[in-house]
Amino acid sequence: MNRRVLHIVLPLVTGALLLTSWHVAVKLSGSDIFPTPQQVLAGLGELAQQGLLLKYIVASLFRVSWGFIAAVLVGVPLGLILGWFRPAYAALNPFIQILRPISPIAWIPVAILWFGVKDTAPVFLIFLASVFPITVSSMAAVQNMQQVYLRAAQNFGLGGLELFRRVIFPAALPQIITGIRIALGVAWLVVVAAEMIAVNSGLGYLIIDARNAGKRYDLVVAGMVMIGLIGLVLDVLVRRLEKFDEVRWGYGQR
Amino acid sequence: MGNADMQNIITVRDCWMSFAGKEPGAEIHVLEQVNLDVVQGEFVCIVGPSGCGKSTLLNIIGGFLEETRGEIYVENAVVNGPDPGRIFVFQENGVFPWLTVEQNIGFGLLSRPETERAERVKHYIAMVGLNGFEKSYPRELSGGMRQRVEIARALAADARVLYMDEPFGALDFLTRLKMRSDLIRIWQAEKKTILFVTHDIEEAVQLADRVLVMTKRPATIQEEVKIDLPRPRDLDSSGYLAARDRIFEIMGMDAHGGGG
Amino acid sequence: MKLIRTLAIVLTLWLLGITAMHGGLNLHWFAKTTGDGTGEKTFGVGFLPVTCHLTCPVTHFINKEMEHHDMFQPMRFNGWPELKEMFIGRSKDMPAAFILAPMAIALREQGVKIKIVHLGHRDGSAVMVHKDSGIFQTTDLRGKTIAVPGRYANQRIIIYRELKKAGMTLDDVKLLEMPPPDMPAALLSHSVDAITSGEPFMGQAELDGYGRVLWQAKDVWPGFISCVLAVHEDAIRDHRDEIQRLVNGIASSGKWIDESMSHRMDAAQFVATNYYNQNPRLLSFVLSKPPDRVTYSRLKPLQPEFEEIERLAKEVGMLQGTAHFEDYADDTFAPDPAKVQAPHFEVKK
Repeated sequence: MNRRVLHIVLPLVTGALLLTSWHVAVKLSGSDIFPTPQQVLAGLGELAQQGLLLKYIVASLFRVSWGFIAAVLVGVPLGLILGWFRPAYAALNPFIQILRPISPIAWIPVAILWFGVKDTAPVFLIFLASVFPITVSSMAAVQNMQQVYLRAAQNFGLGGLELFRRVIFPAALPQIITGIRIALGVAWLVVVAAEMIAVNSGLGYLIIDARNAGKRYDLVVAGMVMIGLIGLVLDVLVRRLEKFDEVRWGYGQR
Repeated sequence: MGNADMQNIITVRDCWMSFAGKEPGAEIHVLEQVNLDVVQGEFVCIVGPSGCGKSTLLNIIGGFLEETRGEIYVENAVVNGPDPGRIFVFQENGVFPWLTVEQNIGFGLLSRPETERAERVKHYIAMVGLNGFEKSYPRELSGGMRQRVEIARALAADARVLYMDEPFGALDFLTRLKMRSDLIRIWQAEKKTILFVTHDIEEAVQLADRVLVMTKRPATIQEEVKIDLPRPRDLDSSGYLAARDRIFEIMGMDAHGGGG
Repeated sequence: MKLIRTLAIVLTLWLLGITAMHGGLNLHWFAKTTGDGTGEKTFGVGFLPVTCHLTCPVTHFINKEMEHHDMFQPMRFNGWPELKEMFIGRSKDMPAAFILAPMAIALREQGVKIKIVHLGHRDGSAVMVHKDSGIFQTTDLRGKTIAVPGRYANQRIIIYRELKKAGMTLDDVKLLEMPPPDMPAALLSHSVDAITSGEPFMGQAELDGYGRVLWQAKDVWPGFISCVLAVHEDAIRDHRDEIQRLVNGIASSGKWIDESMSHRMDAAQFVATNYYNQNPRLLSFVLSKPPDRVTYSRLKPLQPEFEEIERLAKEVGMLQGTAHFEDYADDTFAPDPAKVQAPHFEVKK
């Protein structure tokens, strides 16, 4: 109980301190360009009143959901295959390692040329940003799998798809989920870049649009705050996956 | 023991095993000219110093490693990979942590009808004394209980032969004693053939019909000690102590380079 | 596995839910079609939320108000690169766009089959310095850092032209490329000594009190051309009528804007709210202080003016000089400025 209180009270205290120093710093600097916390809150209120806040959150979540889930559906099987079949690994891994470090921002021109400026282009960028971390972590999960599970399975005569379904996949799952959690952070991270394309909604768009709107840095920071908060919620949700019995063994005793 | 009327289950003839060394051409010889026989229903222990290659030998017999040279027959056939009728019990515990006790024990039975599977699982859970833990996950069990799950999984799958590679090595002393007597009880009830590797001489003497003593690397089977004592064994009996001391002696003599 | 089953169900429901919400809130799937929507698919015209492109939303707005349908689909971008990529890469979706004149010529030089059919505006550019700075004339810029919008920005040309008049060259200043929305903050923080781009970003620095106009484009280069309406040749060939309607619309709404200050204020209001998502005060400021800061009349492309741009751009090294007026311009669409009629349109109050 005490610990729970600690986990609620301490972040609140830190948050209050941060907000206060933010406020004081803005006041001391004498700048009226950078907004104070109250101005950001007012900006958020204004957005909420116009109904834009909900629209933008929904739009960003929509793009991240599709891009990210597509990345999971492609990345996990691909990673499992690469981790298991050496020829596939030899053939594809160099190219994955080449593509992986390319920032989604660099892909923006390609995305526009291929998909135009509808929702497809940002979805594609978010997909790109998340598919490589997911693939690589799934691949590593298979490669680092404890040999004893594999031997036990082979001993029971398992092979082919059955071996994959009943042993390799579940044995790799905890590490895959960790990879997915990291990738979701990345996917959410690139939402601003992805919405630089001429979509006209979303939290990333809010930031870019607010820059075009003259001195509306309160909205820029409001967009940043919302992205951060939703990122936190997403992380908490994914962490819940780690509590499932099928994977809990993979995270040590906590 | 009179072997003439008993069927040979495991036959190893002139088995050699070497691995490539770090430098090209250099080979590390692990096993040299190993011969052994195990008959149906027999409980045989292999003891030897740590790292002597006894585990390698068991892995060859189990089909997980391929010998460099020699002939290995198990159940009248050349070993060609692992076989569901001959289950390996691992020291590091091969119980699947993502499955419940029940699901683990039923792992080798998925091709069987639902009712038969449930019955067998229930039977073996009772046999290894895990009633009440059917729905538990391995992480919720103690090391000894996990090892019992693995044994039950092998038995439930109707394995005729069990290969056990220091299965109790990671357990504490009391649990180890308990597991030994449980294993003997189960073995007597099921009449499986067991080939059991350990570095613990006391363990070997408590369990086996016969103890095969291996030398240091490159290892071979140096001597065979028959333990013709009634079970449950009295650890203070003169027979037990004599057998134990005999093995100590063989392994100790090894240090002087002597041989039988 | 329970985990996978739960995940599959939860994620499927989530995807359906978020898609439905996105469709409802942002894509208006469930909204009843308003107006007499004939359902015909219109073409896109790319623009940025800048004063230079004002005729694009004004034409769209007036047409929608008067004729109750979309003449074209105004497609708003947030930066030049994205607009340009969409324009050259997806000409089917967006056959026309407001772009910088030197950029249009450069694209033509690089083999992109586009033509300038009309101007977007005249003037509407300035060099802005910090009010506390000691820069009062062009020669004071020596050794200073000036932020310019990009590689093909006309602001490079106008600066070159002014430096030349003062006996200087581009080597005497440092040019720094910067997205115009970031310029006011850069000037405020003294990160750069001067900024120059299209409006309303110059006006913003002035309105917020830290910017001082060094010179306005209209004063040093009257009739300065910055952004033009460019169209793909395919569209000119296949959709001549639509392009003609678009050009007529742009010409007449330009006339309408310049007709009276009240039109300008109305335009500032409806464009800022409906198209640019900016504070209308800023657009009002830029469109009125002074009234000729940016103008929207006399928008027919004239060969001598473009030849001057070509020549200067070549001297600056922006252009190769391989494309000429007849290659990159088609002035047959643009009506004679003297005969352009403003629509009889007043904003309903």
